[in-house]
Amino acid sequence: MHGATPSTGSTAISGRSGDGPSLVIFVTRRVAITIPLLLLISFGVFALVHIAPGDPVRSLLGARASDPATLAAIRARYHLEDPFLVQYGYWLWQVIRGDLGVSIQGNRAVTSIIADRLGVTIFLSLMSTTLVLGLGILLGAVAAFRRGTRLDRAIVMFGVFGISSPAFVTGIFLLYLFGVLLHWFPIFGPGRGFLDRAWHLTLPAFALAISVMAIVVKITRAAMIEELDRDYVTFARARGLSSRRILFAYVLRNSLIPVVTAAGLVVVGIVAGAIYVEVTFSLPGLGALTVDAIQKRDIPTIQGTTLLFSAFVLLVNLAVDVIYTVIDPRIRFGRVES
Amino acid sequence: MNAVVGRAGQEGPLLKVEGLAISDGAVPITTPLNIVVERGETIAIVGESGSGKSLTARAIAGILPPGINATGAVTLDGVPLMRLAESELRKIRGSRMSMLMQDPFTMLNPLMRSGDHIDEMLRDRPEFASRFARADEVKRRLAEVGIVDEDVARRMPFQLSGGMCQRVALAAALARDPELLIADEPSTALDVTTQAEIIKLLRRVQRERHMSLILITHNLRLAFSICQRVYVLYAGSMLEVGDAAAVERQPFHPYTLGLLLSEPPVDIRVPRLVAIRGSVPRAADVLDSCGFADRCDWAKQICRTGKPPLTALDASRFTACIRQDEIQGELDALRTAALSAAPMTPRRGETAGALVRVHGLVKTFVGERGRPICAIKDVSLHIMPGESVGLVGESGSGKTTLGRCLVGLETPTAGDIHVNGIAAADFDAMAKADRVRVRRTIQMIFQDPFSTLNPRHSVGQALGEALGASAGATSPATAERIASLLAKVGLSAAYATRRPASLSGGERQRVAIARALAVKPAILVCDEPVSALDLSVQAQVLNLFRHLQVEHELSYLFITHDLAVVRQITERIYVLYLGEIVEEGPTERVIGNPQHPYTRRLVASIPRSAIQRAP
Amino acid sequence: MSVPAIGETRRTRQPLRVPIVILIAALIITGVAICAVLGERIAPDSPFLQRLAVGDTPPSSVHIAGTDLFGRDVLSRVIYGARTALVGPVVVAAGAFAIATLLGLVSGYLGGLVDSAIMRWVDFMFALPVPLVAIVVVGVVGGGYWTAVLVLVVLFTAPDTRIVRSAVLEQRPLPYIDAARTLGISKTRILFVHILPNIAPIILAYVVLDFAFALVNLAGLSFLGLGIEPGTPDWGRMLFENRNILFSNPVALLLPAGMIILTAVSMNLIGDWLFERFAK
Repeated sequence: MHGATPSTGSTAISGRSGDGPSLVIFVTRRVAITIPLLLLISFGVFALVHIAPGDPVRSLLGARASDPATLAAIRARYHLEDPFLVQYGYWLWQVIRGDLGVSIQGNRAVTSIIADRLGVTIFLSLMSTTLVLGLGILLGAVAAFRRGTRLDRAIVMFGVFGISSPAFVTGIFLLYLFGVLLHWFPIFGPGRGFLDRAWHLTLPAFALAISVMAIVVKITRAAMIEELDRDYVTFARARGLSSRRILFAYVLRNSLIPVVTAAGLVVVGIVAGAIYVEVTFSLPGLGALTVDAIQKRDIPTIQGTTLLFSAFVLLVNLAVDVIYTVIDPRIRFGRVES
Repeated sequence: MNAVVGRAGQEGPLLKVEGLAISDGAVPITTPLNIVVERGETIAIVGESGSGKSLTARAIAGILPPGINATGAVTLDGVPLMRLAESELRKIRGSRMSMLMQDPFTMLNPLMRSGDHIDEMLRDRPEFASRFARADEVKRRLAEVGIVDEDVARRMPFQLSGGMCQRVALAAALARDPELLIADEPSTALDVTTQAEIIKLLRRVQRERHMSLILITHNLRLAFSICQRVYVLYAGSMLEVGDAAAVERQPFHPYTLGLLLSEPPVDIRVPRLVAIRGSVPRAADVLDSCGFADRCDWAKQICRTGKPPLTALDASRFTACIRQDEIQGELDALRTAALSAAPMTPRRGETAGALVRVHGLVKTFVGERGRPICAIKDVSLHIMPGESVGLVGESGSGKTTLGRCLVGLETPTAGDIHVNGIAAADFDAMAKADRVRVRRTIQMIFQDPFSTLNPRHSVGQALGEALGASAGATSPATAERIASLLAKVGLSAAYATRRPASLSGGERQRVAIARALAVKPAILVCDEPVSALDLSVQAQVLNLFRHLQVEHELSYLFITHDLAVVRQITERIYVLYLGEIVEEGPTERVIGNPQHPYTRRLVASIPRSAIQRAP
Repeated sequence: MSVPAIGETRRTRQPLRVPIVILIAALIITGVAICAVLGERIAPDSPFLQRLAVGDTPPSSVHIAGTDLFGRDVLSRVIYGARTALVGPVVVAAGAFAIATLLGLVSGYLGGLVDSAIMRWVDFMFALPVPLVAIVVVGVVGGGYWTAVLVLVVLFTAPDTRIVRSAVLEQRPLPYIDAARTLGISKTRILFVHILPNIAPIILAYVVLDFAFALVNLAGLSFLGLGIEPGTPDWGRMLFENRNILFSNPVALLLPAGMIILTAVSMNLIGDWLFERFAK
């Protein structure tokens, strides 16, 4: 077998002593940048209590009875008498220990509410991400190889529609067409058990995927078209290499680099889209929880979900950057200026 | 080489191209072309940009870019290539016919170790089924192209120099032992000394393997030096074909002669370079006339009444000039006249009253991860008023950085620069009046004609702005003043309304010179001002530089890698190598009798054919 | 490295040919703009008039697009909705790019400390999920339509600054800038007379693309019941208010949803075309 990856044929892959340290330095540096970013975001999230109109105590109290004892308890828990930064310090310490406070509705710990809702959102996001990457890269590649044909134009047009249609708009159309008119899919609830859940989440996953997929299609197509025009692809053809080898080792591998860098956009798209889709399809996930909390002015819950979403986006971006350095040797080895 | 076995004794030429016509949709790029390559023969297809030479090469290999199509017949050893399916053709590419391209930095897959480019070519062969057998073979193949450092196979392309990449690419192209190699400008993107090495390597490999070679080049002198026969291609038509030595001795077509003469000689300084006026037309615009008619001094009505066919004069010579027999005498006379020497009398070695004086200049850049990169180490030089000085060096020598320091685009790390007696090392630290005076004394011409002008400004706007900058805006930049500036560089006043996009490279470079002249400078720093231009245009611009020097008593610092250019335009040269001046002296002496080993290597790298070397 | 003559291609200016798709897109945008300006005269009915007794009805000869839960004429509300669909995105796109152009020019051309500071800020903003931040900030702060617009201006400025800056960095090393510096042309003149016109096509294309993105984001906020004041005819808000009448009058949802897509598609098509045609 000729391996699709070029490294199969190479002599010693990791034998060079020069590879290791620069990669470690890069990753360390990248992690070091992420920590202050996380702190800044947590600070912003913390500040939500204070930028919300009205008295913070009232915001944190919600619908509970405002007897002096409860008020005092809230003041004590959030250290509201202390200076602003000290409050933040206490709050951050609690967050690090896994305590996100108590929801103003029904006195439940925010962490346990989030735990209840997490499953649906993770299921939905994974399903969508699979669709986005699988279909997105495939469509982008097909369009690039069939450049200028009707198929290419159709895919490009689909991409424009995807980018222009937010998940809730796509959702409404899918819901009406496949749920109301055709009755192919259920239009309500998350379902129970794996298959039933996948069944229930098919429409939401597509609604969520389409707008994000458009970005991947666009980037893949552009990258592939650029790669197909490269000298090294022409040179590979001139040497009589098989089209499979050229496709995988030359075109696809090189064009995946820009696609990987776009992964950050994909994650943001999925996270934000999940909020809209869960509301559209009445799914009990984290996004719906966030919107519900906003409508009820439940600050601790908003803080909890926002922190979770933002930290997730940040960490995925970190992971993407690390993956990126691993697949692009120009960064791994430290570029030599010519 | 085992590839040679079994080929001897076969009849007929290896490659026959008949009526190959390339077009972009309905727009023709070449007229039907005929090319023959014998076994073991080296031929050259010579042409300027726009001649269609690279596409011809790609059409032969069957790898035209999408949208470009070809008709005609290409026969390789009896096999009609253009009638084969892509899957059949793929088996022929690499194993019977291979190709090498121009830019060594873009030819290798950036994500693949260099050795893998050879490795992947071997995998189909049963004897190389094992990884270790392949690794051994890769080592052997690299050794053939002169790479003995075993570590190279494991390096990524971006870690290698241009010459190294080109060697790896050559080894990859030859990995399946093809009988024919098409090399498309294989040395053009490289440094002068590396160029010579690659050409020497190609020649050696071609001889050892008894392989046929098609060299695509714009350099007629290079073609003469290594090829048996040359095909001169111009605007998509073949103008002259013949035995290399014979064509060099006596070109039959005015274009071939013009191309030969516009290439500045390195051994003598000629009174005036013979330039071909105008620039190369598009093939589609000259379908019904001789493509060269509009630029030819001998063109008559008959040249424009139809496309003159390529006709045989004897068994080995063809020309497309229908007036050849009438004008041959004049062509020969022009050649003799053009090659008469006009040596420059170098001035005495005086240094008092120098216009520019540089002392102990050092420039260090901050490189990757804060590592310092020393571009210039301790350089001292001077330029007298009215003197034309050359600064010769290859890429990485620091020559461009030095030029940029002189005009204040870079601030040196250490050392002094005096322009007209004013200390001008750090432009930011200078008094405003001094800065203005220095800027009016020294101006710069840049290499790339395509971005030297602001694409959004008309020529008139660009010159008007420069005029305004010069006079401290005491007198307005009138249309007359713009017209007179344009006249100085040989352009009509009508150019003032043109935009850069509608100008050719040579025209743009003229406008850039006019812009610099607007402030009436005493010296121009010219950074490779003609190296991006076509040969025929290059001579025009070099003549302009020589004319301007006399007319305006200008001084030049002519920064270039090209010794021939420096030979024609300068009195004295400095040779810069890795940031240091290794040799200095009158141009004639330094080129004629180089002392430093590097200068000797540089001089030896210039392609010379047997005839040129004889006297 | 000396660059050899590689293909001296002369770009001749072709007459501007606008593809039919772009013409249709421009026509759609013009239509939406007319609705935004002349809403009162075009709308068949008042978008505010409630007929609680009628309630939600499917399309009929009286109400071409039916009525919503409060018996209001859906078509008239969609026509009036063009106003918030255009004004907000225009302010977001133009505002964000006005700030981004200044920051990007300064950051890209001057470099140094100013550049580092601006880029640190841009990097931070890039780490944020824009739509989520918009939802949370607008939701928690409260405030109406203009709060939402303001928040989006701030959030859009960072990516736009990066676009302008990289466009400037592309121009900066070109010899025409060096030539201007050598002639002693002032920094301000180089920035605004030399660089700005050359990056203007890129900026214009992105302003149009930003419009589409802002439209989608603002509609998203309205769809969650945030930003826009209750009762205002707005496409996103209509999706929020009518989401429970999908069975009785689907047009009340599908029409505003379709308008959002149509407008955004048109702007994206125009933006992509501008980019391909003028900015490459």
